[in-house]
Amino acid sequence: MDFSFTEEQNMLRMSARDFLAKECPKSKVREMDKDERGYDPQMWHRMAQLGWMGLVFPEEYGGMGAGFMDLVILMEEMGRNILPGPFFSTVALCALPLLEYGSSEQKAKFLPQIAKGEAIWAFGLAESSGKCEATEVRLRAVLKGKDYVLEGHKLFVTDAHVADYILVVGRTRQGEGPENGITLFVVDASGPSVKMEPIPTIGGDRQFKVSLDGVTAPEDRILGTIGKGWGIVDFMLQRAAVLKCAEISGACQAVLDMTTNYAKERIQFDRPIGSFQAIQHKLADMLIDVEAVQHLLYQAAWGINVGSPSPCQISVAKAKGNEAYQRICIEAVAAHGAIGYTMDHDLGLYYRRVKAAQFAAGDTDLHKEIIANGLDL
Amino acid sequence: MDFRLGEKELALKEEIRKFAQVELPPDFVRSTVIDGEFRDFDFEISMSRKLAQRGWLVMSWPEKYGGRGASVLEQTIYEMEIAYRGIPGAWMGISGIQWVGPCLIMFGTEEQKEEYLPLIASGEKDGVWCTGYSEPNAGSDFANIRTRAVRDGDDYIINGQKVWTSAAHRARWCWLAVRTSLNAAKKHHGISIFIVDMKSPGVTVSPILNYYGRHHFNEVFFDNVRVPASNLVGEENKGWYYLMQSLAFERRSIAPTTYGTLKWILEELAKYARQTEYDGQVLCENPLVRTKLADLAIDLEVLKMFAFQLSWRISLGHIPVYESSRNKIMSDELMRRGAITGAEILGIYSQVDPDSDWAKLSGAMQGAYLGFPGQAIAAGTAEIEKSIIAQFRLGLPKSY
Repeated sequence: MDFSFTEEQNMLRMSARDFLAKECPKSKVREMDKDERGYDPQMWHRMAQLGWMGLVFPEEYGGMGAGFMDLVILMEEMGRNILPGPFFSTVALCALPLLEYGSSEQKAKFLPQIAKGEAIWAFGLAESSGKCEATEVRLRAVLKGKDYVLEGHKLFVTDAHVADYILVVGRTRQGEGPENGITLFVVDASGPSVKMEPIPTIGGDRQFKVSLDGVTAPEDRILGTIGKGWGIVDFMLQRAAVLKCAEISGACQAVLDMTTNYAKERIQFDRPIGSFQAIQHKLADMLIDVEAVQHLLYQAAWGINVGSPSPCQISVAKAKGNEAYQRICIEAVAAHGAIGYTMDHDLGLYYRRVKAAQFAAGDTDLHKEIIANGLDL
Repeated sequence: MDFRLGEKELALKEEIRKFAQVELPPDFVRSTVIDGEFRDFDFEISMSRKLAQRGWLVMSWPEKYGGRGASVLEQTIYEMEIAYRGIPGAWMGISGIQWVGPCLIMFGTEEQKEEYLPLIASGEKDGVWCTGYSEPNAGSDFANIRTRAVRDGDDYIINGQKVWTSAAHRARWCWLAVRTSLNAAKKHHGISIFIVDMKSPGVTVSPILNYYGRHHFNEVFFDNVRVPASNLVGEENKGWYYLMQSLAFERRSIAPTTYGTLKWILEELAKYARQTEYDGQVLCENPLVRTKLADLAIDLEVLKMFAFQLSWRISLGHIPVYESSRNKIMSDELMRRGAITGAEILGIYSQVDPDSDWAKLSGAMQGAYLGFPGQAIAAGTAEIEKSIIAQFRLGLPKSY
């Protein structure tokens, strides 16, 4: 058993941390909250030059050939810095399933664009209930001649407004259980029959209702096998849950660090509030939460890294991350007192992002259901 | 990173499974948390002997002292499996195996090692130890102990009182913390450790029953007890250092054993939920029951990772600073939640006496429910452990 990272992994973490500290200070995060695009294209370009988008792609697609654990480390640092932008949508939600299930033509076309930072992708799964479940998929895909025609809408599609392509989960056949008859389509986001309506959120990210009004998808825009798309969604959800958990892990660590530092500096009753046990014990609880998320994250990520992912370990990590992130932020605001409740303080930036993180790649209920199934319940 | 168990560890798990199958009687009822140890002393010691014969009882000790030089990870796996299978006799009052032996190996004289280690390693009654730490005025403030040892020729004479002494009524020996100097600059200095024969004249053991009438704790009185100077462990007045080491050993084993116990409890609850109908619905289909058991499963994984991470740190030669405290808190928290959740799932049957024929799951949940508040206090309360984390991990001022 070995809990340590390799030297290369430690270097990747430190270089990511340095880059983000320099390029993405909290002033930048706040600026992007108000920015129409919600991300900085120049920074995006520099991230691509560092090889981040293509980190896990093979070299033939312009990638770095790194492992899943490396991506987890990178995304922990992004989460620590709450980096705004479409990295999660593009890489975690879309590039990983493209890499696994894409035809060689699709991979040759789409992956190098992503690696170079030239294409942004978004994923459309949820509909009215917002759940990541097969029963939710109603968007119709009907065969007309050689092409499929897509009719319907997707909700909470993050980064759709800046996306070049949207990976859309549609229903090509009814019956035989909700998981059968689902197919994934690559849709041009800028096409005339694609309409977007913003869904303003508390987190400052960009989410949309995307309506497809007779969008035509030729055969080369189908990802994987017709009718077997839920397997791809499942594959994506497992990896994306771990990567969102990585962002959560980094964010939790940042909030703990911020709160510990504040407890050392803030003087009340002539001494630092961190000398009081009421504050110390809160911080100790936060630390235990942070380390719990980290170790569950690394366990789940390691399983994927060595090619034997455990659905239960993945769900355990994401469910714990969801709950810990919320708890840590709420306790952190309490420890800070009123200053933590202000617009000027960075703490709110983290707390406001909790909800989006919880619902990305499966909410807590969904993951607990997977865990319960794992207990043979 | 690598979270795989090696062949050695996997083989050990399998051997322990077979051992439990062969050695435990078919009608065996495992001890619950409220029982503590020694529900049936003779039977448990007979199992200790068998564990000793297998080379498991003190597996992490060097071979020349009866161990087999097992790694910390093997030791961790062993503790998890023993607790999971409910195999009795593995702890022998815990003290001897878990910290007296390891501390003697580090700090004891050759004579002490030769005299005491084989006794512990044999799994015989004469290898059962108790630990005299707490006193009426020294609980969390452990350095406040007042039991005195005064040098008298080749002996020391000990006077004072210990309390909450687990298994003193079964123990042949006591690992005793006393004050040897009243003039030390700090009260942490001036403490020493002695080995005391519990059969010495002047030692009196008086039972303290817990709130369910089970006998685990004792008061131990020392009235002019004469102990040879050769029974001093390490150097006089350096006892605090040995004590901290012993507590580190003790706290390491808490997470693996709690993990094993709760893994078993979770599986039993899941089985119960599958087999029990309530209001026309199988319990396991009830969303509340599913969520509660999933919650337990999540933190059980946390505890497992914490246990392995601490073992890994120790295996690299690090002295854990805060991880043992973290693991102690997590263990107690999980035991509390497991007990409460389990009791909720049993419903009205959770109030049945654990030894009654009416009890479900052999009374395990009632035992846990009654026992967890006490277990949470032993070896450091959550409040003390959290203050340790704040001070030594987060760099906040000492607050106690």
